[in-house]
Amino acid sequence: MNGPISNRLGVDAKHVQTSGLGFVGQSVKRVEDRWLLAGKGKFVADRLPDGVAHAAFLRSPFAHATIDRIDVSAARRLPGVIAVYSAADINEHAHPFVPLIMLPGTYTPLFMPLSEDKVRHVGDPVAIVLAESRYIAEDATELIEVDYSDLEPVSTIDQALDPASAQLWERADGNVLHDDINTYGDVDAAFADADHVVRETFECHRQSNQPMEARGIVVEIDPASAHLTVTSTSQAPHAAKWAIAAMTTRDRPGSSLRSLLGNKTRRQNFVGAAKEFVKDNMASIKKQDPAGQKHQLKRDPSMLTAQMKMGLGLLAADDFPTVRADDIGGGFGSKGSVNREDIAVVVAAKLAGRSTQWIEDRVENLLDGGQAREERFAIELALDADGTFRGLRCQFDLDYGAYPGFPVSAAITQGMIKVYMPGPYRFDAYELHSRMVTTNKGKQVPYRGPWANETWARERIIDVAASTLGMDPLELRQKNMWAAADFPAKMISGPSLDVTMSCKGTLDRAIAEIRELDLDALRAAAHSRGNKLGIGLASYHEAAPGPPDFLDAITPGNDMLAAEQARATIEADGRIVMYTSQSPHGQSHATTYAQVVADEFGVALEDVEIVWGDTDVTQFSFLGTGGSRGGPIGGGVMKYSARDVRTMVDELAAEMLESSVEDITVTNGNIHVAGVPARGLSYRDLAAEAISRQSSSGGTATNKSGLAFEITRDYAGHGDGGWSVATHVAIVEVDLETGVVEIPKYLVVEDCGPIINPKIVDGQVRGGVAQGIGAVFYENLVYDNAGNPQATTYMDYLIPTAMEIPEIDIIHLETHSAGENDFRGVGEGGMIGAPAALCNAVSNALGVEVTTQYLPPAKILELAGVISPD
Amino acid sequence: MTSVEIGSELAVSLTLNGATTSVRVDPRRSLADVIREDCGLTGTHLGCEHGVCGACTVLVDGAPARSCLMLAVQADGVEIITIEGLAEGDEFSPVQQGMVDAMSFQCAFCAPGFLMSTVALLAENPNPSTEEIRAELSGNLCRCTGYQSIVDGVERAVEIMQRGAQ
Ligand code: FES
Ligand code: FES
Repeated sequence: MNGPISNRLGVDAKHVQTSGLGFVGQSVKRVEDRWLLAGKGKFVADRLPDGVAHAAFLRSPFAHATIDRIDVSAARRLPGVIAVYSAADINEHAHPFVPLIMLPGTYTPLFMPLSEDKVRHVGDPVAIVLAESRYIAEDATELIEVDYSDLEPVSTIDQALDPASAQLWERADGNVLHDDINTYGDVDAAFADADHVVRETFECHRQSNQPMEARGIVVEIDPASAHLTVTSTSQAPHAAKWAIAAMTTRDRPGSSLRSLLGNKTRRQNFVGAAKEFVKDNMASIKKQDPAGQKHQLKRDPSMLTAQMKMGLGLLAADDFPTVRADDIGGGFGSKGSVNREDIAVVVAAKLAGRSTQWIEDRVENLLDGGQAREERFAIELALDADGTFRGLRCQFDLDYGAYPGFPVSAAITQGMIKVYMPGPYRFDAYELHSRMVTTNKGKQVPYRGPWANETWARERIIDVAASTLGMDPLELRQKNMWAAADFPAKMISGPSLDVTMSCKGTLDRAIAEIRELDLDALRAAAHSRGNKLGIGLASYHEAAPGPPDFLDAITPGNDMLAAEQARATIEADGRIVMYTSQSPHGQSHATTYAQVVADEFGVALEDVEIVWGDTDVTQFSFLGTGGSRGGPIGGGVMKYSARDVRTMVDELAAEMLESSVEDITVTNGNIHVAGVPARGLSYRDLAAEAISRQSSSGGTATNKSGLAFEITRDYAGHGDGGWSVATHVAIVEVDLETGVVEIPKYLVVEDCGPIINPKIVDGQVRGGVAQGIGAVFYENLVYDNAGNPQATTYMDYLIPTAMEIPEIDIIHLETHSAGENDFRGVGEGGMIGAPAALCNAVSNALGVEVTTQYLPPAKILELAGVISPD
Repeated sequence: MTSVEIGSELAVSLTLNGATTSVRVDPRRSLADVIREDCGLTGTHLGCEHGVCGACTVLVDGAPARSCLMLAVQADGVEIITIEGLAEGDEFSPVQQGMVDAMSFQCAFCAPGFLMSTVALLAENPNPSTEEIRAELSGNLCRCTGYQSIVDGVERAVEIMQRGAQ
């Protein structure tokens, strides 16, 4: 068994990076590369415990069908097969996935790990095989006999909206799972009063997150205690732990209840914990809107029974699984989910009594590893003759796919689109009518900036308005964007804006950069090659972490989720060990957190160890890594918890050195009185003294843990930095013969406040832009009219390569807030701005309005009038 | 379905990162699976298992090859280098060090493929232009970085190698 994941190669004199100036703000080299570039990473597929069984799923080849019969007997007889379980075998030992976030006007279907009576998309899992090798497991799936009866497939938003279509979920209203209107201000008045109304409908195609490592899970069963250790690719290991615990807990409420009532300590613990939770979150709980839950229960009251059984089962359980997330090969939102497969593998491993590994292959990942962005916006912008924005109205439709995501579903995408849609602009009024429909496709998940299409649609309609009214699109934005002098203010959709909403600064700077270019000369040069050149721009702001009222604007009471805990410790030998609840999968937390913490303690980077990913040693966090929280919230709680321990260190040092606390300073790990470095102490000295005082005082909890210093604290970002902002500029050159679009210049002007590590931030920005380029020109997770996926390998789902992604220039602006911890998130922004800037640039080049996000060569030639639409 | 005789294993002997290695393998197993599972070298990654992503790239007799498409039995008698074979003890090779210096990767799941492709590229062409680097590495997918930092890493590796050669 290997220990918890950390920056684990330890101190190595050759690699020590020291700095008198502090590490924050410098591009210090990545700690992670010491193991990742040596080929010593620990990815989920690398975990192969002795005797591990390999799992494979049998998946539906049909988009929509009933299952009439399933026979697994031939598969069971194949040599090398350990076990074969049908959906009925697995589901008997599991509870359903129930909705966690219930928005008004939303019904979220409950569903089981495997599909028993009916399949709802190609790839829907119906049985699981455990075998001595993956090869044999896959052979065995082919021996399972299933009789299906076809149902009419539902494969587009319009089909789903048609009441005559077949219905995927019995208890839903047709195939519409969410229908709600959010109105802010007097929309009718704003539209009636405005001089112009510009209308357009924008459609975005289905895309997929596609991390290079697909999903996977390894379940290990301790032979003596039956304790489960689950290694997973989860962005949120604690959420995975409790979901697995709840959904696979025993199914006899009576016995659960007896066990709870019969155990006084457990009962007291439960009541104590519940009281504490309610006390801590009273304000949030009071704010919650019960309309969502009422709507859900009206459609399907069985949620209450399922919740009761899971709740009692958890209370009666003696042991909970450990979930570990070691190195993870990217996620982009798709690994925040607890998967149906996860629950099925856990149940199968328990039934078979064998440690089991399931590694998703690429075809499976394209079928159901996470899909996103298939959305339609019919948008109206009301504005005055001088260009002043008055009102915004939008009909928004989202294609959810067959099954809800869990624990974060499409509901959160809708909630974010609702809040972000007005963007960094002033409006008198705004209305969003949203519908989410279910279709026979893989499930919708959050994908890097899950709301990004609102930016695409808004920034497109602004350009449409500019060309309709004969205005300069850049000046139209400048005129309507919130500026520093306006603050404090509130977005029309609710959240507060402060100085950190410095989007206008990025817009002004981007425009200044554009004015430096000789666009006429560039256009002429392109023209001489038979090509057309265009320029496009897009601006956005994102809550990273956002003001305290941001999460509440999505759904009241949501701010309960904002906080994150961390634990800061100094061990008996003086080593500084920090525990984060984040689950990094490419964001370089081991480096950036070590930078923040090393500065607080005045030590070298390598003197700090960052531990993550193991639910036995890290603090609970529902969200884990996602939502651009790693810098502001995860980094913030590192900083504050380290600072608390540093205060304890300074106090002890002051006593030992007979000085005042204020005079204690630390240089390169030497703790001394200012001006007297020669009479210094090391962290090891301090730790030894702390331990000896603990023992002489008779043993405390800290003493028992063997730690010299320890603190756990939480942090929700309140009072600190708020918004992360950017303006993207794309220049495109369109080849009118081939339809290929080159990007001779791409510029991002961004402001995420003070930067921890500039090269790491640049990498996040560029990676996001690259995904935006892929989205517009290459990637399309298309389904045919019968619900058959057409892109199930990388021959058809085209991930852009080094040939397609250009150099991307980045200019950093740095607005500071009054907050002590001013880091702001930057992980999602690249993907938010890019599709909008690129589509605006193509529109500009071709002189036609682009209304679809997917622009492959054939579409470009069609827009250019070179070929006619088929 | 083709019938497969379970247990009809063939002996394969190859040189893996300089060490002579003999394994008995089911003939249908891929070279990647045998390197990872039988030889325990999990630094080589599988991103697609259908020959597109390049994460599984290893050097076979010096030339880059997709180990997900190659059968282990085809590797009998060849010399294979994987990511684990690049460093000299604790000392990173110039290509690894170039990527460290340029902070080329994020999740680094793609890194084994890029490192091996780069080693092969620089062996052929020790001083490639940026365009040549981009073209040569276009057989490897990275979902995190947007590639610019990886190109920088190759250029940094060239510098390190040139300094070493002086
Ligand atoms: S795993 Fe071999 S090319 Fe993708
Ligand atoms: S660094 Fe994540 S795929 Fe390349």
